[in-house]
Amino acid sequence: MERRNAIFGIVLVVPLLLWLVITIGYPLVLCVKLSFLNVEFIGEIGSFVGFSNFVEVLKEDILWFSLLKSLVWTIGNLLLQTGLGFFAALVLNVNTKATRFIRSWVVLPWILPTVVLAIMWRWMLSGTFGVINYLLIRLGLVSAPINYLGSVKEAMGALVFINSWRWFPFISVLLLAALQSIPQELQEAAVIDGANGMQVFRYVTLPALRPVMSVLGVLGPLLTFNVFDVIWMLTQGGPSKATYTVPVLIYERGFKAFAMSEAATVSILSFVFLLVFVAVYLKLTRLNVGEYMEQ
Amino acid sequence: MKRFLLFSGIFVVAVVCFLVPCSLAQVEIVIWHMEQPPHRVEQFQRTIDAFNKENPNVRVRQVVLDWMEAYTKVMAAIAAKQQPDLMFTIPDFTTAVKPSGAVQPVDEIFQTLDEKYKFFESAVEPYNYDGHYWAIPVYGMVHMLWFRKDIFSKFGLDPNNPPKTWEELLESAQRIGKSGEIYGVGVPASKHMYTDQAIYTFMITNKAEDLFDESGNLVFDNPRTVQAYAFYKELYKLSPSDASVWTWAEPQLAFNTGKMAMAIEKGQFLLPFEEESGVPGTNLGCAVVPIPQNGQRGSIYYSNGVMVLTKDQSKLEAIKAFLSYLFDPEVNGEWLAGMEPGLFLPVTEATMNSNAFWSNKVVSQYRDHVELMIEQSRFGKLFGFTKGRVNPDIGKISGQNILAQVVQKVCLENMDPAEAVKWGQSEMLKALQRKK
Amino acid sequence: MLRVKVEVVKRFSLGVHLLLVVILVGFFAFPFYWILVSSFKPTEELIRAKPTFIPETFTLAHYRNLLRVSEYPSYLRNSTVVGLLTAALSTFLAFLSGYSIYRCEYPGKRIISTFVISSYAVPTTLLTVPLYSLFARAGLINSLWSLVLVNVTLTSPLGVWLLKAFLSSVPKEVEEAAMIDGASRLRIMFQIAFPLIFPGVAAVAMFSFVTSWTEFLFANIFIMNEFQKTLPVGIARFITQYNVDWGLLMAGAVLTSLPPVLLFAFFGKSFIRGLTSGATKY
Repeated sequence: MERRNAIFGIVLVVPLLLWLVITIGYPLVLCVKLSFLNVEFIGEIGSFVGFSNFVEVLKEDILWFSLLKSLVWTIGNLLLQTGLGFFAALVLNVNTKATRFIRSWVVLPWILPTVVLAIMWRWMLSGTFGVINYLLIRLGLVSAPINYLGSVKEAMGALVFINSWRWFPFISVLLLAALQSIPQELQEAAVIDGANGMQVFRYVTLPALRPVMSVLGVLGPLLTFNVFDVIWMLTQGGPSKATYTVPVLIYERGFKAFAMSEAATVSILSFVFLLVFVAVYLKLTRLNVGEYMEQ
Repeated sequence: MKRFLLFSGIFVVAVVCFLVPCSLAQVEIVIWHMEQPPHRVEQFQRTIDAFNKENPNVRVRQVVLDWMEAYTKVMAAIAAKQQPDLMFTIPDFTTAVKPSGAVQPVDEIFQTLDEKYKFFESAVEPYNYDGHYWAIPVYGMVHMLWFRKDIFSKFGLDPNNPPKTWEELLESAQRIGKSGEIYGVGVPASKHMYTDQAIYTFMITNKAEDLFDESGNLVFDNPRTVQAYAFYKELYKLSPSDASVWTWAEPQLAFNTGKMAMAIEKGQFLLPFEEESGVPGTNLGCAVVPIPQNGQRGSIYYSNGVMVLTKDQSKLEAIKAFLSYLFDPEVNGEWLAGMEPGLFLPVTEATMNSNAFWSNKVVSQYRDHVELMIEQSRFGKLFGFTKGRVNPDIGKISGQNILAQVVQKVCLENMDPAEAVKWGQSEMLKALQRKK
Repeated sequence: MLRVKVEVVKRFSLGVHLLLVVILVGFFAFPFYWILVSSFKPTEELIRAKPTFIPETFTLAHYRNLLRVSEYPSYLRNSTVVGLLTAALSTFLAFLSGYSIYRCEYPGKRIISTFVISSYAVPTTLLTVPLYSLFARAGLINSLWSLVLVNVTLTSPLGVWLLKAFLSSVPKEVEEAAMIDGASRLRIMFQIAFPLIFPGVAAVAMFSFVTSWTEFLFANIFIMNEFQKTLPVGIARFITQYNVDWGLLMAGAVLTSLPPVLLFAFFGKSFIRGLTSGATKY
């Protein structure tokens, strides 16, 4: 019986594994190969250079610089997205005619293609033609138009805002689902038992949100760290490397500076870095299969 | 018996059906290019359709790409042996693709066409090295000083006497900019090809056009380059705040809506001016790029060419036929002017003297400007390709827009120009010395 | 007295809530309003320095233009096909694997689960060239299937983990009871577990469809022919570097956002309702 169960389980998961091995495993292996060669352009054969790529790359300031940028990007995004997601979920959790209608429309920012997102925000944030600047000046909040995407100081903030605007609906929908799954009776029982708002939140609401938050806690950083298209389309890592995250560095090295092996090396380093994060996170939260249940 | 006849009949018919199309086999020529604007695609299609009609055994097909992805796509295609037969290019792009081994020398085709139509030297120079020709020039682009005559008049500047020197340029821009409503001039500070081009134009006029010396050493870091960057910064201070993210589209917008009085740009200003500005075309001024004291006349000049990426004999025959058709002066003139009048300048004397080119509506409306641009082309230069010296790794410098990055250091980070240029030189050296 | 007080507090908090709703709506909807309104303005009004919030002149020229110079119907069809196939395949694989990892026991399960999630640690840009040559050899370049394959890769791992979250809220007892009753594992999976976590499945399908719809990097590299392009790639043509036809761009942006929006207008309610009512069965 155990045996049959095990075989059943294995058979179920094999298709996905095969799929991933082909579409991710194979490129990854190629990438590792590349990082030990000195290939410059796509299609070049190159020759073996051992670990020298890794040594060279790790010595470069720009690598650590972009890592820092990536961390700022990732943490900024997570904070803002979660904050906005929570706000939206809490607002929409209240059952009124308005919220029932809005619930399906809040996903609007998320379903936009990146291209449209880029056009939209570049247009609105423009220092010369942008409506945002126009409104801010009209409302007296700023005195002169700010060129958000073109200013070294503001660019990262603007990008974090734009990306958060795009993703918060996804988070809020998941949180909303979790919130709505809390049985009414449980909340009422807690209130009757004398719990105040804070306590209800801690002992009733939060536990219901834990599964979703845990999943987001590992997936969020991974997905955010590797975001490339939004940054590239809006600022290309600029201005003056203000938004030069690791994915941008990889792309530029590989496709603009004609140093494919170096790009592969940075990719491997980035991959390992994120793997370590996953391992540590899983260990800390004990979010392993079968180890958490009793909430 | 009947069955036998039936089957053999079918067999014969089948064989005939198989053979006949084979003998009329069409050769397909795929062209990749990056001229995305719809009207350019439409014009190209018209020219292609006309050729296809006259040559039923050849079928030419255009595929449109974006510059941002062009390199990746073509290299990936070459690696997978799926590359196009022809691909439009610019000089440094060719040097970047060449290491793959897919770029074929076009000496023979070039000689044939050159004899008939006479190419301009400045257009050919960047594609002629290592003893061969690596692309056929198709159109040239050159930088000019564009200015709004109506705004000039409004601020007491003579619209028929545009700035000729750096000092005059700065002065006029400041006078207009003082108003606070209109920007006197606009120069980009984005990490983009446009910024590379703009700063290089100023370097040329200040005689700092050589990136490499006779021995191939990098000489970017020199006082004349520093001066160019210092002057550029003064212009940037008078530019719209958006200029740090400009591509080619935005300055045109600012210019056409009357928010900006002057721009350093190529010829695409002609076509949309009247419609977007709402004022007659006579208000569009075009002049030679201002020159500093002890400077020289010049602008950046981009010779756009077409590379041959196939070795197949039958395709090469078809390509020869197509290019001969394309360079026929009347076809060529109509094609260039129809794609983008003013931006795509002729590269052959034959086309320059053709009727088709000059009778295009926009070209004839702005005839003076186009003639000036063609004249300016003779003074055109391109970084990395000056004095016949071509560094095959120039793509590594232009691919990362290092010239533009130095602009950003000077204009956005307020770095001292001398320091920034030094930094630029070290970045360029790093880019060039990658391979161990 | 108390009743009045409660009424007032209720009214007040409802009012505050309404204000918050308005702020929320303004926050996510304003940009859409802006491009929608802009798409109907003539170019001259569109690029004016002082923006108008209601078009002075109303025009459909940009939409006509868009349909004339681009293959919008083809793009739409391609995006829809790829989106639906991706959603179906991704959800199917995610469900199978999620169930396997969460409900079955076999050695190496934990490693597999970690392996699945680690696929997101790989930088996507370096996947492009190897996959391109792989697909080129398989003759899949310019085929919509190449996009489906890649999108399934991008979305199914997340699907697996999302379903884990939902499966965790399904008590084992329900399944165990069915097993005692003699039902096969397959039946339990599809006839009991599946309906119970349907909200989760719907979420995965939604995520897969949307990710596929908005995907640009791979759609751009794998498809060269105009008629096989997806929407994002198709309208990216208009953001050329030489000049920007702002009107075309706005119209393109509206039309590209429209299909998913309409899809959500029709099905969104039931998705959300499913999501929110799903777990209250316990």
